[in-house]
Amino acid sequence: MALAVMLLNSASFHAGCCRHKVLLSLRGPLLANSKLYSSYRRPGAEPAKKLSWQNADFSFKKGIDHLKTQLSLLKKETQDYLKGPSGHQISQHLLEQTKVLWQFRSQEDLNKWIISSDVEIGGKSKVYIKLGRNNQAALLYGTLNTEAPRDGETKYSGYCSMRSRPAVGSFNRKKYYDWSNFNTLYLRVRGDGRPWMVNIYTDPYFSHQKDDLYSYFMFTRGGPYWEEIKIPFSKFFLSSRGRVQDNQHPIWLDKTLGFTIGDKINGPFQLEIDFIGLLNDRAHREEFAYEAYDKN
Amino acid sequence: LEINTLAILPLIAKPHHPRSIEAATKYFLTQAAASALILFSSMTNAWHTGQWDITQLTCPTSCLILTTAIAMKLGLVPFHFWFPEVLQGCSLTTGLLLSTVMKLPPITLLYMTSQSLNHTPMVIMAILSAALGGWMGLNQTQTRKILAFSSVSHLGWMSIILIYSPKLAMLNFYLYVLITAAVFLTLNSIKTLNLSTLMTTWAKTPALSAMLMLTLLSLAGLPPLTGFLPKWLIIQELTKQDMAPAAVIMALLSLLSLFFYLRLAYCATITLPP
Repeated sequence: MALAVMLLNSASFHAGCCRHKVLLSLRGPLLANSKLYSSYRRPGAEPAKKLSWQNADFSFKKGIDHLKTQLSLLKKETQDYLKGPSGHQISQHLLEQTKVLWQFRSQEDLNKWIISSDVEIGGKSKVYIKLGRNNQAALLYGTLNTEAPRDGETKYSGYCSMRSRPAVGSFNRKKYYDWSNFNTLYLRVRGDGRPWMVNIYTDPYFSHQKDDLYSYFMFTRGGPYWEEIKIPFSKFFLSSRGRVQDNQHPIWLDKTLGFTIGDKINGPFQLEIDFIGLLNDRAHREEFAYEAYDKN
Repeated sequence: LEINTLAILPLIAKPHHPRSIEAATKYFLTQAAASALILFSSMTNAWHTGQWDITQLTCPTSCLILTTAIAMKLGLVPFHFWFPEVLQGCSLTTGLLLSTVMKLPPITLLYMTSQSLNHTPMVIMAILSAALGGWMGLNQTQTRKILAFSSVSHLGWMSIILIYSPKLAMLNFYLYVLITAAVFLTLNSIKTLNLSTLMTTWAKTPALSAMLMLTLLSLAGLPPLTGFLPKWLIIQELTKQDMAPAAVIMALLSLLSLFFYLRLAYCATITLPP
């Protein structure tokens, strides 16, 4: 079906090692840790020059500085805990109907996102991100190239994505977003008419589910006017490693982690994003858009 | 105990959602480990003294192992980590079963073996349970997690008096079951899973939310309501047993849980959302 074809064409998570490689790049310079999955090194991955244990830095001063930053983060977290859930007053949590998650006004905001493309698997797409005019938006632009890398393994290629960095608390612990007060994702974008895929990753308990994503599509108009796109969370469907699963269930919003945008067709693309936020649309009554009862 | 555990597992995992499966797995692992420890305690007792009956444990190691095993089953601090996550992963009705019915066999076991439990670990666990149940429930916005922490703190109250007067612990347990069942069933009928949803219930069922407020205050242990009775009797018994500082600490710690019960009652009844 068309959905599956689009997904296979986008191949955004065809190689499961890509996301891990990107996540690992947060931790250190070592990108090509493809030993996690197989000894085959993809054309776009850098050769493993230094082993991970050789990268350890035993400088005492750096260690103390690191400890100091982590302790100050911990202190801030304790103070936030005393104020209320996620550092805000409980009244804010109870009354909020909109919330802006990511706003692109400075380089710092851009640094919260990681861009990647199929260069990781040896493709030829290019993607860049910069601040738009007057620092009012982020501009994600580049060229998509669906020519598959000639390694005998990959059939489809051509994707570019922008992923949010997972939030880390003190001592590199995972921090979750609690989106249970909201039921719609709200984006203010100005695209060029191309469709995008929006993915949400919820932190799974089991490692079997580490590749599963909740996805939906965002269709942009090409016009000079800004668009406000609302995607209810009930529309997100479950896919794992790019394949839509048979057993669907609604997304649970009390543990979300990241947000990805991916694209599909050959040629140049451009997307300006003003902000990404959440909305509690009380008029939206649908709980889940797909069949959840037992088939056969 | 085992039949109970096995029977409730499919109930927890019934919605085939990863979060429910996670809850079922966590529940199974902790309960299985605790059951193994219970068997182990009676086995070591049999090895040392030849007595297989679990109600007549005399070996000190066995007593300690039994205490920790039942603490794991119940969810007393420091073995409480599974409880909020398991309760969060299951539906409200299953949560009701987990908090009330599933506590009955371990409490019965505690009642039967109360003379062979170690005093100090029990008292320490009880005080820590009341403290952590209150402290960690403070910033929660999911109703199921709030009820999980309330359960932990009530179990603390039950276990502090168990050694001195098991009947009082049972009284506390029965009243806790009654009140918690009322709260869970109310929340189930108004289908609230977080505090924001709770704020709109006054428009749908005003009488029910008024009753919910009274029930929550009863759980908190405020005087004219039933929930005050076990707390009063426990404090009285503790002071009779020359444990006045423990009684004072428990009373002070119940203030923390009072805060989140009041917050729940506030959201359900007293405020008017925009």
